[in-house]
Amino acid sequence: MSGQLRILDLAGAKAAILHRPHATAAAIERQLRAIGLSAETHWPELPDTLAVDFLFFDVDMGFDAQFPWPPGQSPMPMIALIGSEAPGRIEWSLSHGAHAQLLKPVGDNGVYSALLIARAAFQVRHGYTARIGELEGRLAARETVVRAVMTLVAQGMTDEDAFASLRRMATDRRESFEAVAARIIARHDTTKTNGGGR
Amino acid sequence: MKRRIEIGILLSRSGGYSAISNAKYKGAMAAIAQVNQNPALAVELIPVERDPLGQIDLYAPLCTEILRDSEARHILGCVTSWSRKEVLPVLERAGAALWYAVPYEGFEASAHVVYMHACPNQHLLPLLDWAMPRFGQRMHLVASNYIWGWEINRLAREVVTTRGGEITGERHLSLGETGVDGMVEEIAAIRPDFVMNSLIGPSQYAFVAAMHERMPGVPILSCNLTECELPLMGAASDGLIAAGPYFHTPGAAFESSHEAAGHAAIMEMARLFDAHPGSERLSLAELLSLDANEGPIDPQTHHTSLPALIAQAEGGAFRVLHSLPARPGDPYLTRPDRSQTRQKLRLVT
Repeated sequence: MSGQLRILDLAGAKAAILHRPHATAAAIERQLRAIGLSAETHWPELPDTLAVDFLFFDVDMGFDAQFPWPPGQSPMPMIALIGSEAPGRIEWSLSHGAHAQLLKPVGDNGVYSALLIARAAFQVRHGYTARIGELEGRLAARETVVRAVMTLVAQGMTDEDAFASLRRMATDRRESFEAVAARIIARHDTTKTNGGGR
Repeated sequence: MKRRIEIGILLSRSGGYSAISNAKYKGAMAAIAQVNQNPALAVELIPVERDPLGQIDLYAPLCTEILRDSEARHILGCVTSWSRKEVLPVLERAGAALWYAVPYEGFEASAHVVYMHACPNQHLLPLLDWAMPRFGQRMHLVASNYIWGWEINRLAREVVTTRGGEITGERHLSLGETGVDGMVEEIAAIRPDFVMNSLIGPSQYAFVAAMHERMPGVPILSCNLTECELPLMGAASDGLIAAGPYFHTPGAAFESSHEAAGHAAIMEMARLFDAHPGSERLSLAELLSLDANEGPIDPQTHHTSLPALIAQAEGGAFRVLHSLPARPGDPYLTRPDRSQTRQKLRLVT
């Protein structure tokens, strides 16, 4: 990851703590309020209307059904609250996409660094997910690109000109290379169909 | 009959930053005398003093000693952030409190600390607001290689670049290092619009002297310079610009904001102990909650509301150029629009 942490945009952020009423939850709430975030504590379920920027969740007593999203797909950074460092529980917290962790008991500090690290990890993961989706789309479109180039070559272009032409159209239309390729194939197929009907 | 209450004083009376410690000590001792002589206050404060001699590894043991050998649960002390971080675990274990009365870099709000001096929204941000329109967009950063310098530089960089300004360079010196020639030559070559100086102790004194010699026209700004260090720089300090909550004016009680903040910390302790008998044994959180928001300490952040003044050194004193009303300490810079309703800390009595 490059770039600096942006600290000035934590203003007005909200956090939820998914933990039974306990000194740990109180200590996190105190730190959150001192940092300047608003804090709400829930247990055992999260409200459907949950709208927060960070979620602290208990690993010791947590279970899958607590989260209204599939494992690993939280819409906000997640911070695991770990008491017993047992491998099973840590695996469970990872399956839910812990972006940072705090060890219990929570005392006077630790929340601020957890917030910044979780946010950075969340953004990196989101960036990767988007990038992977884009690359998978491009891989899946390899055949489309080859067919589009072959179509243009069949119309008399060299393969280099065919590629250059696709690239130019993509730039002009502000579309991906793959989308332009699909358009060429569609146009060609239509022409063929229309031609065949005459 | 006054209640006798022991309080800790953990200040380095010698070493690299003793000018600051001694200013704080002077303010604290004056306040203790004032409290003890005041028949209207039901408390007598007994200082339990330990001197870490400016040696970082003595802070935690001496803090432990105060808490072990006396009844004191409230300690005025520490100058550097490093020493504050050293005593935090000790305080947490003992449920004791540190009254920290030095400008610092922010990003802390311990349940066991009262922050009586300025944090960045009370020094750096108003200083940049004031300086950029006057001097320009090109800022050069010099700092001691230490958390104060790192964090002030990081934040100054974020603020200035967000506003479209430029960082012309950033140089650090080890604590105590006085070889500043390379740093000064670089500034002479680059000619920035102004320099943000976060050097501390002898490094700062050497830098200021060398700049005075080589580049007298470049404005040098600081977030923690006070009157107590001007004599150490002599005529070279003329023209230096500093932000702070207080500067001495003729006839005013304190010679620097360090002295004023040391004094204010003790006076606030005395007010709390006087108002709530037995409260000197309580944790800071319990004490403040008992006090129900009567005082200047914000119960959420443990910071105080302070005015932001910008002043320029002239003949060994500061002249205030710009003065902003008291603003609550915002250690994490997350409360830009917080209302300014809290009773302001009185640094002038």
